[in-house]
Amino acid sequence: MELTLVGLQNSGKTTLVNVIANGEFTEDMIPTVGFNMRKVTKGAVVMKLWDLGGQARFRAMWERYCRGVNAIVFVLDSADHAKIPAARTELHTLLDKPQLVNIPILVLGNKNDLPGALTVEAVIEQMGLKSITNREVSCYSISAKNSVNIDLTLQWLTKHATSK
Amino acid sequence: MSMKKDDEAEHSLYAGLDRSTALQEARVFNETPISPRKCRATITKILYLIYQSEVLQTKEATETFFSLTKLFQNQDTSLRQAVYLLIKELSTVAEDVIMVTASLSKDLTSKSEISKANAIRALCKITDASMIQGIERFLKQAIVDKNHAISSAALVSSLHLFNNSKDVVRRWANEVQESVNSKTGITQYHALGLLYQIRQHDRMAVIKLVQTLSRGTLRSPFAYCMLVRYSAKIMDEEEGARSMYESLEGWLRHRNEMVVYEAARAICNIRDVTAKEIFPAVSALQLMLVSHKPSLRFAAIRTLNKLALTLPAAVAQCNLDMENLITDPNRSIATYAITTLLKTGNEASVDRLMKQITGFMSEISDDFKIIVVDAIRSLCLKFPAKQSVMINFLSNILRDEGGYEFKRSIVEAIFDITYHIPDSKEYALSHLCEFIEDCEFTKLAVRILHLLGVEGPKSATPSKFIRYIYNRIILENATVKAAAVSAMGHFAVECPELRPRIRVLLTRALDDNDDEVRDRAALFLRVTSSDELASKFFGLADTYSWPTLESGLVNYLAHPELQRAPFDIASIPTISRDQEEAEKQRQKTAKQENIAALPKSAAAASAAPSSNKFASAAGSGGGGVSAAVDAIKGYAAAMEKIPQLVMLGPIFKSSTKPVELTESETEYVVSCVKHVFAGHLVLQFNCRNTINDVLLENVTVAMTVESNDDGLAGGLQLEGTIAAPKLAYDVPGAIYVVYKRLGGVSPVVTFGNTLKFVVKDCDPATGEADDEGYEDEYLIEDLELTTADYMQPTMTLDFKSKWEQVGQEHEQVETFELSAVPSVKVAVTQIIDVLGMEACDGTGNVQEKATTHQLLLSGMFVGGVNVLVRCRMAFDASSGVTLEIAARCTDAELCERIVNSIV
Repeated sequence: MELTLVGLQNSGKTTLVNVIANGEFTEDMIPTVGFNMRKVTKGAVVMKLWDLGGQARFRAMWERYCRGVNAIVFVLDSADHAKIPAARTELHTLLDKPQLVNIPILVLGNKNDLPGALTVEAVIEQMGLKSITNREVSCYSISAKNSVNIDLTLQWLTKHATSK
Repeated sequence: MSMKKDDEAEHSLYAGLDRSTALQEARVFNETPISPRKCRATITKILYLIYQSEVLQTKEATETFFSLTKLFQNQDTSLRQAVYLLIKELSTVAEDVIMVTASLSKDLTSKSEISKANAIRALCKITDASMIQGIERFLKQAIVDKNHAISSAALVSSLHLFNNSKDVVRRWANEVQESVNSKTGITQYHALGLLYQIRQHDRMAVIKLVQTLSRGTLRSPFAYCMLVRYSAKIMDEEEGARSMYESLEGWLRHRNEMVVYEAARAICNIRDVTAKEIFPAVSALQLMLVSHKPSLRFAAIRTLNKLALTLPAAVAQCNLDMENLITDPNRSIATYAITTLLKTGNEASVDRLMKQITGFMSEISDDFKIIVVDAIRSLCLKFPAKQSVMINFLSNILRDEGGYEFKRSIVEAIFDITYHIPDSKEYALSHLCEFIEDCEFTKLAVRILHLLGVEGPKSATPSKFIRYIYNRIILENATVKAAAVSAMGHFAVECPELRPRIRVLLTRALDDNDDEVRDRAALFLRVTSSDELASKFFGLADTYSWPTLESGLVNYLAHPELQRAPFDIASIPTISRDQEEAEKQRQKTAKQENIAALPKSAAAASAAPSSNKFASAAGSGGGGVSAAVDAIKGYAAAMEKIPQLVMLGPIFKSSTKPVELTESETEYVVSCVKHVFAGHLVLQFNCRNTINDVLLENVTVAMTVESNDDGLAGGLQLEGTIAAPKLAYDVPGAIYVVYKRLGGVSPVVTFGNTLKFVVKDCDPATGEADDEGYEDEYLIEDLELTTADYMQPTMTLDFKSKWEQVGQEHEQVETFELSAVPSVKVAVTQIIDVLGMEACDGTGNVQEKATTHQLLLSGMFVGGVNVLVRCRMAFDASSGVTLEIAARCTDAELCERIVNSIV
């Protein structure tokens, strides 16, 4: 299956990929310039992960890597309240692309180990997920650092491996 | 697929391939799973198209690029290599290519050595100046990598990045220095190249670099070649010193012949090289002449050929070896050998050589034929006695097949020969006549007809040319016909005995269907109807200065406000035909010298002996005058770019030599050129900043009137100063100070001058300046404005009759005792200098020991007043030179002023 990870910079996309691939957390990553491509085998499922750079100059290129994937994963830093509106705008801009219609989306509120992190409900509310009707939408609050809800995420992903 | 075995199959695979199908095929990049083999084949096709100069649109390229990025999921090494190649090609067309930065960086940290070098190259191609810091770490590491392929790739890539990101790359100097000492030759070579780039603006550092490395830690012959070039450059810049000569000479004994050649060539190119210095280099080249490698023989003979232009005697020692090369199977080598021999050989060997050349002329290409023709031309000028052999040869090859350039060079050579060797004229002209009978090049036919028109009437039997010329009127196209009519007209003007018969022929041309032909025929019929008209229009020995006339007309047409009055032909200075001819010859020689000399040493080469031959043959002082004309044209061209100055109209007079206002070794070197315009005065200050860690900005000159004898300085009104926005180290700049001359005054003034500017410190290596600067001044020497600055030298023929014509009405005569002047000759030069006028009737030339002399001068004062001056001089050892000076013009005051300017 193919997955694309998007989200603003410093939301923890590359870290999440590393946690999924290696099962361990590494701190202090260099910002991704462009994209990283990782292949991860989980049980019987081989996942191709396109981990895209979150800086503004790369956001226009997200769509190219989302076309035809099994699911889009949108990661956000749920402790960084100031950036939530920007994240919301980017998410909706992306999902409005006609090419990406019907592709399931998984929104992950990362860094829930930090104080002041939003709850799942708050994320759903502030990201305006209820207004997305043309596809399957899910949302989890996770922590890549403490491996909270990573198993849930993987479960969701493997479930969608064949739903294409 | 049996591609490898069957060449034709491979050929057909790519034949007829078009862009859209190849790009369509790029869809395989998006397939799952990826087939490396299929993808590589597609990449190859796209690359093939790009290498065939197919241009991709930005959109197509971007689409292809993003599909291509999908291939990073496959780890197949050979596919990855192909991907790198295509990324590099697309990097300049596609958008957002930085997308693959992370992926390429990851390849750099991978364990596989094989793709690292290529990944570096691709990475540097997609990185722009803003992103370079992100990859700095990888590159620094790669530069010192043990694997030479990787370090070389990093070094070469850095060299490319250097252009855009000098500062970042400069930070890697330590790593680069380390890799200069690498054990692998190619890495040394690349590291040296980069290190030089980094340090090239710091002269001392370059010298140190070259000196350290010449002690022999390098292995790569390529690196040595670079060292040779750097050394040559250092020497070239230090003008005259020979600090690096010993190293160069040492490299002549290097074990690698490439280094030996490079060193020999560098020595041959040293400015003003002496026979002693060049001897070892020529010996080294001589050894290469007998090498079994054609490339070495070619290189050596080519260098010797060039050297033979300036120092034929030095090359003569190779004559024997070069004679053997005439039969070299490689025609290029043979051509160079024979043309070199023509330059170095003596008169006795000429006949033999000519025979050999005739043998292989048909076997070489036009380019080489031109080289041969040029060599023969200079040979003929060297040995005038051999001209008949040469002319014969030239006219023979003129009949051979050949392109325009080739034919032009032959015709050009014949022209030169007829010009310099009068004996050859008749013979050469008759050959040219035959050539135009069957000449496919209109331009050449026109030029030959013109020459016939000029030279034909002076020959012993002018009548024999008429038939050839008239045939052209019957048979040719309009352009040639018109030229033929003009040529015939000249005959009619200059040969009264032929005139009636030529008038008959010209009358026939009146019925021609081309109007230019008819016009010219009518003009000549009219002119030749009386002797008076003929001598009035065609007897003139002087002519207008064409460059000035041309720029004057261009200016007239470009400015509608000037067109209210008719164009003033009197404002164009006249020059004698001798001068014009001398100028033409000089330009031609200068051109040839430029071809022969390295661009850097062009200035030096034009001073070399061979060029003086023509200048001195062409008439006295021609070279000096025309060099000044060139300089003035250069100033004018520079000023035309400044709108404020264009408004002032054409320049009346520019001082020929810049006045130095500083010593040549001061911090800022300033010289001034004075330009007088019809209603203005422009002082052009040329400044050069000689301090490498300082940048000057907003440079202006403050001028004050120091002294003014004639009290007219009040008529000068400062209109403005055009500042030099910045003066970087060693980059010359100009400041213009514009004065309005109220009522056309022409005062004699001394100005005091101060340079004012803002100083900023800057980094000598990069030339980047600090933001903060401070204002400063710099006092420069005084500048004098003299009568000569308002005087345009003009050529007057028949001085006597003009002198009488102006008459005595306003004449001023004065007698001076010039006791400090040691000879008449010195007096003449000084008077010409002080008055700024032209010596007429050859009176500018004086015998060294002459005791009496009469100097006739003519000039035009600003405002268009023609001035004539007669100076009678007598010399006596006890009292010095006694001078009686008489000036005549239509303005008594001016006469007085001119006479009195001699004090």
